[in-house]
Amino acid sequence: MLSMTNVSKVFRTDLIETHALRNFSLEVKAGEFLAVTGPSGSGKTTFLNIAGLLEPYESGSYKLDGVEVTDLSDDARSKLRNEKIGFIFQSFNLMPDLNVYDNIDVPLRYRRMKAAERDKRITNALEIVGLAARMKHIPAQLSGGQQQRVAIARAIAGDPKLIMADEPTGNLDSLMARQVMDLLEKINEMGTTIIMVTHDPELARRAHRNVQVVDGQITDFKPYEPRTGGEGMRGHGAAVANAGA
Amino acid sequence: MFSYYLRLALASFRRNPGLTALMIFAIALGIAVCMVTLTSYRAAAHNPAGERGAVLFAPSVDSWDPENSYDKDNKSLAPDLLTYRDAKALYASDIPDRKLITYRTGDIYTRPDKGMDPHYIPTRMTSRDFFGMFDVPFLYGGPWDGKADEGPEPVIVLSKEENKKAFGGENSVGKTLNWKGREFRIVGVLDAWEPMPKFFDVSNGAFHEMEGAYVPFAWGPILELGSHGNTNCWKTETINNFQDFLNSECIWFAAWVELRTSEKQRAYKAYMDNYVLDQKKHGRFPRPLNNYLYDVDGWLKRNKVVEDDNKAMLTLAFAFLAVCLVNTVGLLLAKFLNAAPIAGVRRALGASRRDIFWQHLTESGVVALAGGVVGGILGVLGIWALRAWYGRFVDEAARVLPFDGKNFLIVIAIAVTAGLLAGLYPAWRIGRAAPASYLKVQ
Amino acid sequence: MEIRPILSALMRNRAGAILVALQIAITLAIVVNAVYVTQQRLVHIGRPSGMDDQNIFSFWVNTYEKDYDYLGMVNADMALLRQMPGVIDATPMSQMPLSGSGSSTQFYTQPDKKGEKSPANYYLTDDHAVQSLGVKLSAGKTFNASDVEYKPTQEQSWAPVAIISTGLAKALFKDEPALGKTFYDDIGNPIRVVGVIEHMQGSWVGWDKVDRVMLTPRLNPGGSTMYAIRTRPGEIDRVMADVEVALRKRDPNRVIATPIKKMSDMKLQSYAGDSLMAVTLSTVTGLVLVFSALGIFGLATFNVNTRTRQIGTRRAVGARKRDIVRYFMTENWLITSIGVLVGCCLALGAGFWLSTQYQLPRLDLYYLIGGVLGLWVVGQLAAWQPSRKAAKVSPAMATRTV
Repeated sequence: MLSMTNVSKVFRTDLIETHALRNFSLEVKAGEFLAVTGPSGSGKTTFLNIAGLLEPYESGSYKLDGVEVTDLSDDARSKLRNEKIGFIFQSFNLMPDLNVYDNIDVPLRYRRMKAAERDKRITNALEIVGLAARMKHIPAQLSGGQQQRVAIARAIAGDPKLIMADEPTGNLDSLMARQVMDLLEKINEMGTTIIMVTHDPELARRAHRNVQVVDGQITDFKPYEPRTGGEGMRGHGAAVANAGA
Repeated sequence: MFSYYLRLALASFRRNPGLTALMIFAIALGIAVCMVTLTSYRAAAHNPAGERGAVLFAPSVDSWDPENSYDKDNKSLAPDLLTYRDAKALYASDIPDRKLITYRTGDIYTRPDKGMDPHYIPTRMTSRDFFGMFDVPFLYGGPWDGKADEGPEPVIVLSKEENKKAFGGENSVGKTLNWKGREFRIVGVLDAWEPMPKFFDVSNGAFHEMEGAYVPFAWGPILELGSHGNTNCWKTETINNFQDFLNSECIWFAAWVELRTSEKQRAYKAYMDNYVLDQKKHGRFPRPLNNYLYDVDGWLKRNKVVEDDNKAMLTLAFAFLAVCLVNTVGLLLAKFLNAAPIAGVRRALGASRRDIFWQHLTESGVVALAGGVVGGILGVLGIWALRAWYGRFVDEAARVLPFDGKNFLIVIAIAVTAGLLAGLYPAWRIGRAAPASYLKVQ
Repeated sequence: MEIRPILSALMRNRAGAILVALQIAITLAIVVNAVYVTQQRLVHIGRPSGMDDQNIFSFWVNTYEKDYDYLGMVNADMALLRQMPGVIDATPMSQMPLSGSGSSTQFYTQPDKKGEKSPANYYLTDDHAVQSLGVKLSAGKTFNASDVEYKPTQEQSWAPVAIISTGLAKALFKDEPALGKTFYDDIGNPIRVVGVIEHMQGSWVGWDKVDRVMLTPRLNPGGSTMYAIRTRPGEIDRVMADVEVALRKRDPNRVIATPIKKMSDMKLQSYAGDSLMAVTLSTVTGLVLVFSALGIFGLATFNVNTRTRQIGTRRAVGARKRDIVRYFMTENWLITSIGVLVGCCLALGAGFWLSTQYQLPRLDLYYLIGGVLGLWVVGQLAAWQPSRKAAKVSPAMATRTV
């Protein structure tokens, strides 16, 4: 599904160079549920941005679903992102002035889909996340958990092969966090590959596999046994710890 | 996608209504100011003869003072009017397809049956071809025939307004008016006709009122009708009667010729030059040979119908529009950059740079369109206010400020173009913003 | 307050600052030139005419019947008009000053077109002209009734006496007293000065020699003349109506050309172009200032909004409210100053261009200085509210992420 080989990313300012990723290599199989963990500043967000085709990188090779993306134009990357990847963010990143329905509509619009097809997919996605009754609400009228479920609906509406989740429960209380994780697992079971970035080992444990990034490199390559359900999930009510990551 | 971008633009306006209103208002006022000045400029710069203006020519010969040029500021210019002798001579040529000589006079007219109050009618002495050459529309009757020019016959053509005044607007063809103790038979009544600028007689004012009556030119010398317009003289001559005046170097006549081919134009110019060279032998035309044949456009330019003030105001108006636009660029940039995180999310969800660019350019376009419409309305109000204010005592101001739908469309087009230009940089800039930097913290 | 860090912060956010500066620059160029030209026009419009122009009206009287007693008509009309209540005096005139319609010719201080020469705007009138126009004589006296002549046809000659304006007197006789002197037309007819008018404008307000006027005691030939009537202050409207009725009643067989026009309206009409220019320019000046202020305000507000975290951090590390206000005010002042600097060049360039292109006078530097100071004030006023808003940002913003 995803194959990175020796990918390097350097942030430069006038004074300093920061190596966010150094010779980063990772293989993710189709249908996997992978958790990427690591402390703040380890490079896991950079990995997510590169894997999500949001940022260019200096060197190395990256194949997404068999396509080498290194030399693709911005337009081609946008198209690939739109068709193959769904994003879920810590702070949901819903459009504040669009209602639930129109929020889910966004990626479908950029795929230039016909109205009937879009409507079918949106309705279907809303069924999956259980928010069909809320489609006319705007994000501010929803709870955090509901907002994140809308974001998940948006991510899956385009029927992507890969979902990139960045601290998906970081802004949620434990009950909501559990619902979101259940939903992600359900989606994974339906065949979608999921890569989740988190610094929370508890959360990571629910994934099939767990990799740890430290100083821009993978230090731990321990496959996890698939497991289902589970209690003791602890969400993070406050985001202060994550500020500036 | 366009309709989608439109929806997004409207949603965006709801998010910042105050800022949006400010941008719309900025464009609107810039546009309104431009519209008012553009209207008066266009009115002055308009060529009312249209395409025919290219085959209609005003001959100009330099019969002026050897010591002083006619125009102090532009020494190369010949006078804008002709002497009686020269007007007659230029009219005598067979080269033109059609031709006329003319001047403005006027006097008190009465109706033999006392059916109207005796009153002053500004009168144009001219030739039959006047009506054909200038496409003058007739309501009743038509021009006098060619013979009437020669005799001359006592015939007269009335303007629509004058016919209303004198005959209550009825078909007056065949009736008579008394003028200078003679009866003039009405052969035609014009339909509404008011070319602006009044190109065939700009020396008496490009926006001067139209004449109420038209009479064969040859009556001028017979009835000793002096000019009720500009008369300029340079030479010391003893003038003790009207004949002396006609024979003097005083200028108050205009001639127009229609020359449909460039051969005829060259031939007529040669005719003018030959005439002047011949006159030099008789001691006239003391200045160097300096003759011109102006088409209508050239004639309007030569007479500076578009005044310097007009041009300066237009320049100022567009500078003002520039300020409004720079203002709008700044506000759009601020607005777009403020919403950059949302654009970042859209990019993450698969929008290309082009998508983001067009989305924001659409938003700029909608702002501009709204600005154009509001500006158009403000402009109409502005023109209306100016007309109301100046029209109180200046008829000419109202003439200089006509308003038509074409101007409105031009204004909207300018607004949208300007708005799109203003949106270009901000939309490009927001399209270039790296998406990743906005996703983490909102 | 240190300027360097503000400047470097500005440099990292160039586009917005450049736009505001550019806006200020164009604004300065417009405002300075517009105010200057407006000022010129207002001075031009405000020049005194020398006449009692608010209380004078005039109209044409035309005869049309053969062998009509034109001279008798004028005498009878004048006798009637001069005794009407509210009328100070009345006079026949060949044309009216300030009307845009007039006649002028060249005069010389010696016969045969020799000596000093000057064009003069002349009016054919009678011995009541001075009183009827409300002009002041600085020397000599008005015409005697016996000076007034009538020649039924046009001929090139002049009455032997004339009253001339100081403008014409100066042009012909320099600083010598003009009273009693003789001047000549181009064929040598002599004319003696019997009176000098302190100041009077002629027909064309746009003419640079508008103050060179001659009154000559002769009735307009050709069976038509204007009547000029001066009323007591405040009575002009009533008198206008009364005069029309009275004249028609006295003799209906000639034409009183309506509408009867007030000299004040003719003056407005003559200056219509100038006042239109003045009104347009001052409107645009006002608008452009308002818009620049709004633009500065809008951008400052957005800058504050996007920088709440940064402001919070500053507050958290100990900046007082007034430090924040001062920071934003200084930032605005810097942007304005850059704009003003560029604007000075633009204004001078535009002024020069206007003066060459459109024969407008060259820009006066005092206006530029005034414009610079004015824009500084406008900029600071516009930035005040956003700066206050910035100061209200809570220091807790520093630790908040959403």
